[in-house]
Amino acid sequence: MDDRKAAIVSEIPRLRRYARALLRDRDGADDLVQDCLERALTRLDNWQSGESPRRWLFTIMHHLFIDRMRKVSRRGETAMLPLDADEAMAAPAEQFGNAASREIVDALQAIGPDRRAALVLVSIEGFSYAEAANILGVPAGTLMSRIARGREELRGLLDDSSRRRAIRIVES
Amino acid sequence: MSGRDFTERDIHMALDGELPGEDRAGYEAWLAANPDMQARRTRYAGDAEALRAAFAGVLDEPVPARLTRAALGEKPVVVERRHPRWWLAAAAALLLAVGGAGGYVAASLGGGAHDDSAQDQLAEEAIAAHVVYAAEKRHAVEVPASDLDHMETWLSNRIGMKLVAPNLSDDGFQLVGGRLLPAGGHRAAMLLYEDAEGNRISLFVTTEPAAHGKGIYAQSGEGPRAVYWLDKGYGCAVVGSLPDNRLSEVAKRAYEQLVAGMIS
Repeated sequence: MDDRKAAIVSEIPRLRRYARALLRDRDGADDLVQDCLERALTRLDNWQSGESPRRWLFTIMHHLFIDRMRKVSRRGETAMLPLDADEAMAAPAEQFGNAASREIVDALQAIGPDRRAALVLVSIEGFSYAEAANILGVPAGTLMSRIARGREELRGLLDDSSRRRAIRIVES
Repeated sequence: MSGRDFTERDIHMALDGELPGEDRAGYEAWLAANPDMQARRTRYAGDAEALRAAFAGVLDEPVPARLTRAALGEKPVVVERRHPRWWLAAAAALLLAVGGAGGYVAASLGGGAHDDSAQDQLAEEAIAAHVVYAAEKRHAVEVPASDLDHMETWLSNRIGMKLVAPNLSDDGFQLVGGRLLPAGGHRAAMLLYEDAEGNRISLFVTTEPAAHGKGIYAQSGEGPRAVYWLDKGYGCAVVGSLPDNRLSEVAKRAYEQLVAGMIS
């Protein structure tokens, strides 16, 4: 195995985590990672030697993610709409431990893909604003407003779901 | 004090490690003087922590072989892409079966030949083995988990397929060990797992060249239940007395690792 490929292989767990946070569905996320890896191999020349492959791979994957989101919305599919609790129950293959984790994963899926990507890159993946802006191909100011709006949206969704839960408890 | 004004934007910057060091003291003083901003900071920090926690486990999952192959530029294998859809449907069927009256609830998942008797047989053998051996405190297994490499090699050779014991520690289960069993005219490997409360589940794996088909049964009623499948020359069942959704979760995890191990 040459060094470049070895370096790419070592990034797979991080790519999987990012894809899972973007798409939730495990298999769909792994499909995205696979597409990313396949594309990366055809563009090895674009990768500056000596540089960590992480940012390069995340950038490739982000482009694929955006393409996919555009196609989905053009076809009028509902993949970008929030799942309600019943639909989430019908997808038991997606396992995220406890109820609190599932709730935040659902909420994350419900916010817009641009905000979701910005929030995930910074909050989960730990990229700096400059790195994340670079990966997403947007100015730092845009990145910051996506993060702020994303967090606010997430908070609202979590509040809604805890309110719904409280109502259910009162009713039963 | 840096003397500048702070806004909500600084909360995000501070959370994300982007607030310059010289602004720190002023920022903290601003928070202390603005309880609603302090509350917002606490809330955002909590949400960020919950987000990280929700996805932390992904880094510890075994990497699917198809991804490693893709990174190395090797040909993809189609068999893996086929399973997930099936599993989703199967798991949904299992959930539907929960709480039903006693007896078997079968879900036929379209396509592929079905061999109900082979499925019954696998489930029954797996459950029988579980009932007998999981109840044994000291003699449950022949080879203990401390001798993992030897156990995997030995069982792989005996049942005729590569067996890698799944790591179920995310589900709270530790491997106790394994044993070899007869299964119809074949051999089966049984891996026993135990959680901190002493609940035991077993993984029953056999090579079953005659049977093909996709499906899942929940044997409800009293006693342990089996989540199982038969495919391409092998059969596998996860048996335990856990609640059905928990059992199906563990089974899925075991199944994925088993398949990944087989082709690794």
